[in-house]
Formats: sequence, structure tokens, C-alpha cells
Amino acid sequence: MMNAIELRNLSKTYPLFKLDQITLDIKQGYITGLIGPNGAGKSTLISLITGLIRPDSGSIKTLGKEVPAQEINVKERIGIVSDECFYYEHLTIREMKSMIAPFYKKWDEKLFNNYLEQFELSPKKKIEELSKGMKIKFSLAIALSHDAELLIMDEPTSGLDPVFRRELLDLLADMIQDETRSIIFSTHITTDLERIADYIAFIHKGKLVFNEAKDDVLERYMIVKGDMKLLDADTRRQFVGIRETAVGFEGLADNRAEAERLFGNYALLHRPSLEDLIYFTAKGEKHHA
Amino acid sequence: MLNLLRKDYIALKSSLWAILFYFVVFSVAFIPTVEMSMYFVGIYTAFSSIMLATMIDIKNHNHKFLVTLPLSRRNIVQAKYLSAILYTLFGVFASSGAHWLVNFLFPELNKPDLSVLDILISVGMVLVLISIYMPLFYALSKKGAGIINTVFMIVLIILAQPVASLMNMAGENGMGRASVYVFVSVCILLLFIASYFVTVRLFARKDL
Repeated sequence: MMNAIELRNLSKTYPLFKLDQITLDIKQGYITGLIGPNGAGKSTLISLITGLIRPDSGSIKTLGKEVPAQEINVKERIGIVSDECFYYEHLTIREMKSMIAPFYKKWDEKLFNNYLEQFELSPKKKIEELSKGMKIKFSLAIALSHDAELLIMDEPTSGLDPVFRRELLDLLADMIQDETRSIIFSTHITTDLERIADYIAFIHKGKLVFNEAKDDVLERYMIVKGDMKLLDADTRRQFVGIRETAVGFEGLADNRAEAERLFGNYALLHRPSLEDLIYFTAKGEKHHA
Repeated sequence: MLNLLRKDYIALKSSLWAILFYFVVFSVAFIPTVEMSMYFVGIYTAFSSIMLATMIDIKNHNHKFLVTLPLSRRNIVQAKYLSAILYTLFGVFASSGAHWLVNFLFPELNKPDLSVLDILISVGMVLVLISIYMPLFYALSKKGAGIINTVFMIVLIILAQPVASLMNMAGENGMGRASVYVFVSVCILLLFIASYFVTVRLFARKDL
């Protein structure tokens, strides 16, 4: 299987945070969700991939090309959608489009106008007059109008209403139907990823916890809910993280078979959500610390 | 490169009047009162325009948008140096034109006759300013770049008269020989080229 992005030992150090030796492959033809708690390093990783920041060490290969050495070729073939908007705010959508379009060889004016219509964006509106959701729609229209092979999306659904969020997810799912395009999608709204992601890359405290097929991940982990009497030093070791209350505990076990063997007859077991993975991993770290 | 110049034009379209405004204000302020107004009008107009063109790119952290376009960071710097040269030529030639017109219409002001050397000195001085300004602008953050602009404007105003006096003294002491001019021109060109490479290097490494 080809990789749309290959990161090797990628590190970036800030005074209070370190993205540490990330090695990650983003599969071509699939949607990969990038998840993790606040400050885990998702946006730093996306900024490294998009060339906004430079790594201290390690390498980035996007669509088979080394970055930044072959960045012009790469940027021609990728689309970037972010929850932050860095366009020229005093310009209208039409002016901004006139500025951007000539840079792309495969710019499709008709497609762009179709997206504007679909997203209900007026070309006469100034960027500064757009709401956060409308800005995301505009950057999506730009990203989709130059035949991008790879969409890199940083929190793209955060400012969107539920109706358009669903429409966007359908649009993305349609986009990868031909299996040549790829999407990397960082978000806090893990339900979006449960709907459309094929792979999940989980980052925590600047380190990659896993990058696996979503179904495999959700099959491997198990939520266990039971009485406090079930917890002792040995059984605690089965859990990535535990939430204890007056009436019992809830924990995330990372070995489904072992959890079933130990707790199957005494506790309630169910498949976790992606949010459970983030919550219990973060909680587990705090507990161990 | 043309696309980047076009990008500048679209971004600055609504502010182009400001360049003409600078030119008129500096002309009215300096031509009747300062003997060496030819230099001041040209240099101030050119440099104010350059600052306008650079600041438009950081108003909304727009470098973060520009680096996502199919360009290298080197291209972005190249285009800015090229547009700075264009603004320099505009400022200096506009100043020359204004002085020629003033000499023609108001001979009683006794403005010195213009020479090619005056134009070259003005161009040279703006190139020196660009050579110092650009690396600082591309190396610093949005806030830092704003401070640099203010500092440059203050320095230009403070140093205007001392530099003018220095140039007069240099002329009187016979430093106006051709060999000196050639030497200074070569030094300015080398400084400008070095500044370009330093800026490219700084911007290529910068985290946005």
C-alpha cells in the first residue's frame, strides 16, 4: 500500500513542549483521523507537514516527494483546510480567488463556482465578514478546486453547524471513493472520525501512541465497568486509565481478550469510542504521574 | 514570480492611493523647504511604499497562507525584493519628475538642477535601507516587524539632516570622483545581494 505521507523520526522542541521522534505513515486512498487531547501535538504535526514550521530533526515525504526539497510540486497537489484563516481579510472572496487560482496548474473555475453555490458563499463578501464556519467552507472550496490528491485538515469541523458538518463528511467520503485521494483530518470531535475515518493516529504528549485501522483499534480496546472490589494491584495493570467513583469504576483495557477473561463474568464490557480512548489515555498518564 | 507580483497588486489595490498620498505629502513638505529635497522625496516615498507592501503580508499572519501556495519561501522573498526595486524606481523617478516640474514652473525656488548622479544616489540609499530592513522584517514576528517599521521611520526622520550635511561635506572635500562613486555603487550592490541571501536563509528557517 502506498503512503500519502511518510514521517520519519520527526522532532520539534519548544520550551514547554516536545514532539518526539514521530514515525507515521498516512495511507493513500484513505481517511486518517489525527486525535489526541489539547496540547498533544496534533497542530504542531499538521504545521510540520504543511511546511509552516520546520522540524529540528527527522524527515517528511509527502506524495512520494521529500519536503521541503520538492515542496512546490507537493503543494500543487495538496489542499489545506484549517480552522484558522490566514487570507487577506480586506479582500472579497472573488479577489482572494483571483489571487490564488493562477498559482495552481489544475485550477477548475467551474468547480470552484459550484462549491461557492453549494456552500452558499457570495463571491462579493469580504473575508473579514465571513463567520468561522464560512471561512472554513471557503478554504474547503479552494482546496477542492485544484484537484488536490491529499487534503490536510486541521480541526475543519470545529466552527461548523451540525448540518454542514454532516454534508462535509459526506463530501469527504465521496472524495476518496476513487481510492487515489487521501485525507488527514485532525479533530476534537471524534464522532466525525467514527463516521468516516479508516485509520486513526493517536498522539499524546508529543508521542505517537498508535496509528492503526479504526476498526482494529476499537476491537483491541475494551471498556470495563464494574464494582470497586474487582480492582486490585494486578487487575489495575490491565487498564490504560481508570475512572473511579463512589459506586464503582470504569476503565479502558488495551487487551480485549484478557479483559474478557478477567472481568467477563463480573463486569459490564463494551466497545470503546474514540473519545474513551483519548479520555482514558490522558487520565492514565495523569494517574501514573 | 509574476503571480506573486500580481498577488501584491490585488492585496494592495485598495491602498495604492496611499503611495500617491505619501508622494504628495513628502513633496509639499520637502521641496519648498529643503535644498536636497530631491533625495528626501524619492527615498521617503519609495521606502514608505515598500513598508506598505511588506506590512500587508503580515496584517493577518498572511505568510502562513502564502507558504501553503505552490511556491518556495525563496520565491516569496525574491518577489518582495523585486517589488522593492520597483517601488524604489517609482519613488526616485516620481521625485525627479516633480523636481523637474518645480524647476520649470517655480524657478524662483532655486532648486539645484537634477543630474543622473542624483538619481543614482537616491536609488543607492534606498537599496541600502532595503538591505537592512528586509532581513529584519522576514526574521521577526508580526509584532517585531511592526516595531521595525516604526524604528525605520523614526531613524529616517532623525538622520535626514545629518546625512544631507554629510553628503554636502563629502562633495566639498572632493569625494565626488568617479572612482569613489563606482566603489560605493559596487559596495551597495554587494550589500543588496548579500541581504537577499541572508533574508532567504532566515525566512526559510522561520517557524510561522
